[in-house]
Amino acid sequence: MISKKNFRKISDWLWEIPKEFRQDMKVPARVYASEKMLEDIFRDRSLEQLVNVSTLPGIQKYALAMPDAHEGYGFCIGGVAATKFPEGVISPGGVGYDQNCGVRLLRSEYTEREIKPYLDKLAIEIQKQVPSGLGRGRKVKLSFAQIDKILEGGVPYLVEQGYGQEEDVINCEEKGRMEQADVSCVSERAKNRGRDQVGTLGSGNHFCEIQKVEEIFDETAAKAFGLFKDQIVVMIHTGSRGFGHQNCTDYLRIVIPAYPKYGIKLPDRELACVPFNSPEGQKFFKAMCAACNFAWSNRHMIMHYIRKAWKSVLGEKTNLHLIYDVAHNIAKIEEHEIDGKRTKLIVHRKGATRAFPPHHSDIPEKYQEVGQPVLIPGSMGTASYVLAGTEESKEAWYTVCHGAGRTMSRREATRRISGQDVINNLEKEGIIVKCWSMRGIAEEAPIAYKNIDNVVEVVHNAKLARKVARLRPLAVIKGE
Amino acid sequence: MEKYQILEHKADVKIKVFGRTKEELFLNALKGMNYILKPEVEKGFCKKREIKIESLNLDTLLVDFLSEILYLTQVNRETYEDIKFKEFTNNKIEGELRGRKIKRLGEDIKGVTYHNLKIQKKENFWTTTILFDI
Repeated sequence: MISKKNFRKISDWLWEIPKEFRQDMKVPARVYASEKMLEDIFRDRSLEQLVNVSTLPGIQKYALAMPDAHEGYGFCIGGVAATKFPEGVISPGGVGYDQNCGVRLLRSEYTEREIKPYLDKLAIEIQKQVPSGLGRGRKVKLSFAQIDKILEGGVPYLVEQGYGQEEDVINCEEKGRMEQADVSCVSERAKNRGRDQVGTLGSGNHFCEIQKVEEIFDETAAKAFGLFKDQIVVMIHTGSRGFGHQNCTDYLRIVIPAYPKYGIKLPDRELACVPFNSPEGQKFFKAMCAACNFAWSNRHMIMHYIRKAWKSVLGEKTNLHLIYDVAHNIAKIEEHEIDGKRTKLIVHRKGATRAFPPHHSDIPEKYQEVGQPVLIPGSMGTASYVLAGTEESKEAWYTVCHGAGRTMSRREATRRISGQDVINNLEKEGIIVKCWSMRGIAEEAPIAYKNIDNVVEVVHNAKLARKVARLRPLAVIKGE
Repeated sequence: MEKYQILEHKADVKIKVFGRTKEELFLNALKGMNYILKPEVEKGFCKKREIKIESLNLDTLLVDFLSEILYLTQVNRETYEDIKFKEFTNNKIEGELRGRKIKRLGEDIKGVTYHNLKIQKKENFWTTTILFDI
């Protein structure tokens, strides 16, 4: 049982379990949290899971947990682990079933006052255009050949086909395509599950939101991102849908029986992993890249449908521009500095977001001076944040949290509050909710999550990223 | 005997399943997963689907069985309420699923995890917990 006495305090925002805590730890385990938030983390098994992550073969420097960490399976959610390329391990569980779940933010030229008369109509139109895809997808089912093009071509392929513009490629993490994707590594089952899912939202904590910029903290960065006070923006949170889920299922089935032959011993089967340069590791990575391309394509097409809805209500001359798109369930090959030396790593972010600093070569030119936009959605009806990457975050492989993090189970949430009460409370604050499941709304009630302001304060104070803007929801859309 | 219980888990859904036999355990796991999916069923006749799974051991067989049913649910837009086993060993299942067409699902199960899944024989029943990623 892990308790506070097992921790060494590094700073007010950073705590460390030394690797001597347990014999099989290869590196220390570190948690970014305030002292108060650390007390909450003890209430579930996230720290034990973090210690388990520190046993991964090839892991470098630390196993990390972000301030929104909570119990998952294998990795804790909000977990980060970098292993040495190419012989260090890659773990499907270190990415999760929803491969490349992520967030994108679009900016409009409207203010809150200007949009108010149209808000309800916009929410209705967006809900019509973007289905949840649960048990039934979009009306058009793509052929296997079309799915293959999306898996390998990602967002650039869709833009070539006439969906969107060049800035939609530039302003997306990885420019919307990981080139290592290989469709021959993807099962027919995964492709079959994805055929009618491109342009669907999913359920649970996935959403579209119309938001306003409530507060600006960093004027220079806000200007670079195209943000101003009271501006209307649109946020989309979703991932790779059934395609990614099946892809992860397929590879866990391969990796779990495979890892013992590499002499790997693990404290938890869900950490199943193989050397990155093994045949299984290579195939998984290439298949994961394909799933990431699918997810970026999904968010891109949802953006396309939202743009349609926007124009149908506000007129053809209006448009929504992509600020940025970030992934928060992914494994990436990145170069980082270890002991003064540039080292290639396989960075696993499970419920954690990349946050590159100013002048990093992998961020768009217009953001070079201020750093990568980082998008942190709050729980339903609460604030979301835009931050910018910092150089100090190098200690965490340039990573921050991905959201608020849950504090209670879905059942507990539905026991404490009804969906209708959640909607009534939000409506009292002037927030419109469009949904089809009251139970789903109750499960996602703000009381079920940590306070996003506290989580972001830790990120900001620990200098993992710096606050740029606080966004407040005006309309929450949860699929038709 | 209870077929399954829903347990507490912070982010996902965990169930505890019971069965007098291994076959009944698997059937009740199917029913538990169906409960979580909350399908909206269409009127009409029963659908039958063949299922054939091979796996390393009984635990992974259960994960593979439920994962296969999840796959069939998604691509066929059907919900499966019952199964007639033709063959059942610790490594293999062959059977006929019975189900109906659905309008939609109420919940999205992303995956059937292996987390703490260990099928055990108690005095006169079999049991395990299963965690579903939601």
